[in-house]
Amino acid sequence: MSDTPILQGIDLKKTYQLGRLEVPVLHGASIQIQARAWTTILGTSGSGKSTLLHLLGGLDRPDKDSGDVLFKGASVWSRTNRQINRYRNHDIGFVFQFYHLLPELNIFENTLLPTMIAGSKLPKAQNKAKATKLLDQFGLGHRLSHRPRELSGGERQRAAIARALVNDPDVLLADEPTGNLDEETGNEILDVLSELYDGGLTVVMVTHNNEIACRGDVVVNLRDGHILEN
Amino acid sequence: MYQTLLTTRYLTSRVIPLIAVGAVALCVALVIVVVSVMTGFLDMVQSAGRTLMGDVIISYGISGLPHYGALQEQLEADPNILGATPIVDGWGLLRMPYPDSKAKQSETVQVWGIETESFSKVTDFSSSLQWKTPTDNQRDWLLLDAIKKNADEVRIGMDDAQWNAFVETVNTASSTLNFANANLWEDIKTSVTEEQWEQILALDERLSQPELVHKQGLALERNGKPGIVTGLHVSDGNERQRDGTYKVIRNDYWWLPRFDGTLTMLPVDSQGGIIEPESIIMPFVNEFQSGVFMIDESRIFVPIATAQSLLHLDAAEIIDVDDPTVVLGVDPARATSILIRGVEGINAIELRKIVHGIYDEFRASMPDNTLVLPPSRGDPGLSINTWEEQQRSFTGPVEKERELMRTLFSIVYLVVAALILSIFWSIVFEKTRDIGIMRSLGASRAGIVWIFLQYSLVIGILGSALGLLLGWAITKNINGIHEAMGNPPLALAISAFVFAGATCVYTFVRARSGMMLPIVLGSIGLITFAGIGGLVLFIRYIGGLVIWDASVYYFAVIPNNVDWPSAIVTVCGAVLFCVLGALIPSAKAADTDPVKALRHE
Ligand SMILES: Nc1ncnc2c1ncn2[C@@H]1O[C@H](COP(=O)(O)OP(=O)(O)OP(=O)(O)O)[C@@H](O)[C@H]1O
Ligand SMILES: [Mg+2]
Repeated sequence: MSDTPILQGIDLKKTYQLGRLEVPVLHGASIQIQARAWTTILGTSGSGKSTLLHLLGGLDRPDKDSGDVLFKGASVWSRTNRQINRYRNHDIGFVFQFYHLLPELNIFENTLLPTMIAGSKLPKAQNKAKATKLLDQFGLGHRLSHRPRELSGGERQRAAIARALVNDPDVLLADEPTGNLDEETGNEILDVLSELYDGGLTVVMVTHNNEIACRGDVVVNLRDGHILEN
Repeated sequence: MYQTLLTTRYLTSRVIPLIAVGAVALCVALVIVVVSVMTGFLDMVQSAGRTLMGDVIISYGISGLPHYGALQEQLEADPNILGATPIVDGWGLLRMPYPDSKAKQSETVQVWGIETESFSKVTDFSSSLQWKTPTDNQRDWLLLDAIKKNADEVRIGMDDAQWNAFVETVNTASSTLNFANANLWEDIKTSVTEEQWEQILALDERLSQPELVHKQGLALERNGKPGIVTGLHVSDGNERQRDGTYKVIRNDYWWLPRFDGTLTMLPVDSQGGIIEPESIIMPFVNEFQSGVFMIDESRIFVPIATAQSLLHLDAAEIIDVDDPTVVLGVDPARATSILIRGVEGINAIELRKIVHGIYDEFRASMPDNTLVLPPSRGDPGLSINTWEEQQRSFTGPVEKERELMRTLFSIVYLVVAALILSIFWSIVFEKTRDIGIMRSLGASRAGIVWIFLQYSLVIGILGSALGLLLGWAITKNINGIHEAMGNPPLALAISAFVFAGATCVYTFVRARSGMMLPIVLGSIGLITFAGIGGLVLFIRYIGGLVIWDASVYYFAVIPNNVDWPSAIVTVCGAVLFCVLGALIPSAKAADTDPVKALRHE
């Protein structure tokens, strides 16, 4: 863990506006994500974990007086919209608590979606082969043409992970990936993430569950809008 | 592209877009049918008018144009002109036999005195004549007429017994001929000798030469005497059939070419005062149908000399006012107008210019000592117009009406746009989360906009293509459809009631499950089907629905050609407005904040 971190959040501030009321969520949180590490962000519900992850993943813009997110040392939030789209699509893979698969597309198409959005220059066949391989790897090889609603929660989450990985991102951001699953299924998902981590993927996972947090090799606590590092 | 994939999925996985496609199709079909019929109507007016009146018309009020024969010659000498024909027109009163009554029918008619030979060149007079040869019934009536009128001649060479038998045959035949097809011709032929039969046939030339019926119409004369050709709807003896054709009532009894008519016209003196009315009794020689109801209803043709003499426009001596015995010269015969037809392909405006030149030459060529000079071109009473200018008062409003229709129907576009807007608004709302997902996966705003624009484009194209097809099918079969409305098939009513019964059973069976939808659907179906059945029965009961009434729309049939330029504009417009309608929802979709969208749920 000696290199510069692959992903850094520096003095991140985020305040939500609720009508006239200002709701400050992050007060200047800083976090370092080392490449090939499994970082777990632990915090109580409502502490701003998701918010932090969204800032890191380029989904939500930090406040004006805030610091920045650095990816491989380069600023993320001073990029153009186009570059941010590419960052979301290509550099980061997102996994959500509620899977967030498109109901009109089957599992295979859902997995392939980021490559289509990228307007990928790679030949289609190569992308398809990649998607098939990932789904196979996650035990969904026989369910390619099924719609998300025909799958169990665990299966949906595995499909969502396949989708997050199809463009070969550098970092996988997982927002309570087991939050909607029973313990056994949740463990299956965590095993999948472990496998990926063992394969050399950088994983950032958010949870409020101490037991799950022990899976990571770095655990950071988010409290009162600040990061308390262990 | 993911947009195409999503478009196809959104299109096939829900009902609303299909309803939108259907609605767009109906709108497009509606516009195409209405505009096509109106355009076809206008085209019919114009082409019918042109074949009836030529391309350019020279007219000079009621006082008429002198020396028109010279002008006609000069016009006909021009290589751009196919023919020129003088007309004497005026209003008159025509008295003719009245169907089913001893009284006479009197009609105000527009009398055209024509020079048949040149008139046939300029207009389609010959083919507009209705009677080419008489039908069997008409021929039988002609035979009866001839026998009754010339009874004395027919009787020659028959003894009393023979004659009585003959009269018996004729009377029975004539009483049945009113209602049914009698074998009159054969009966009479067999009851007389061959020689007598020859004599009878000689009583009316048309009996042995049926083609004379057409020829007499074309020449406007019978046995060397002038005759009348009337518009098919002038006499009440012709009954208009639902399909636009005419049928002579009472089994051809009231066939006009059997009778004579009295034509009365009011001549006007040089000061415009009205002189004693003039009358003439003339045989009807034929009837014509131009297809323009207005003309078929009021126009009659007589030889030009007849019209001239009735209107006092024929040649007359000019007498010294102070000394009536001194003849100063001759006032030449006059024509009120000259119709000119250009050669194929010549433009009417161009032709008018040529006619101007010829007219000036004609005026200049008059010798100095001419007593009655034709008007100079500056005379306000003289007009040289193209057919369209002449008929502006008639076609102008129709053209305006079509423009009005087009404008009104552009509201349909707004309907299409509003429809798409509301449907897309709800789709975008429903798909907020999915849009957020795609944005979080790196989709650009433009990419999201394109999903919905493409979607609307597909709906627009599908809808308009379907509408085009539907509009084309309806327009092509509009006469059949109209006729079916006039007499809706009983089978339609029966099948509607069968369907109503079926939905009734369906509703009853499904309703027991306590579900609401089948009850509502079933009731709607029941009401619809029973309504259709009832409507059909009602229409049959009132004797059919006739919307296109020839006396209102001038033509016997509804125009059934698709106005392709308008149709294409309509289709493009519908597609465009579909996309315009989707613009606002697409922008809303593009502005979806991915994080907020993802927090949905
Ligand atoms: N759009 C918003 N407007 C106003 N307040 C918001 C908005 N989004 C989040 N918040 C508030 O910010 C705080 C942090 O939210 P966040 O979702 O980051 O918490 P979290 O740690 O992920 O919680 P959980 O464990 O329940 O997922 C919460 O109090 C939430 O109410
Ligand atoms: Mg959260």
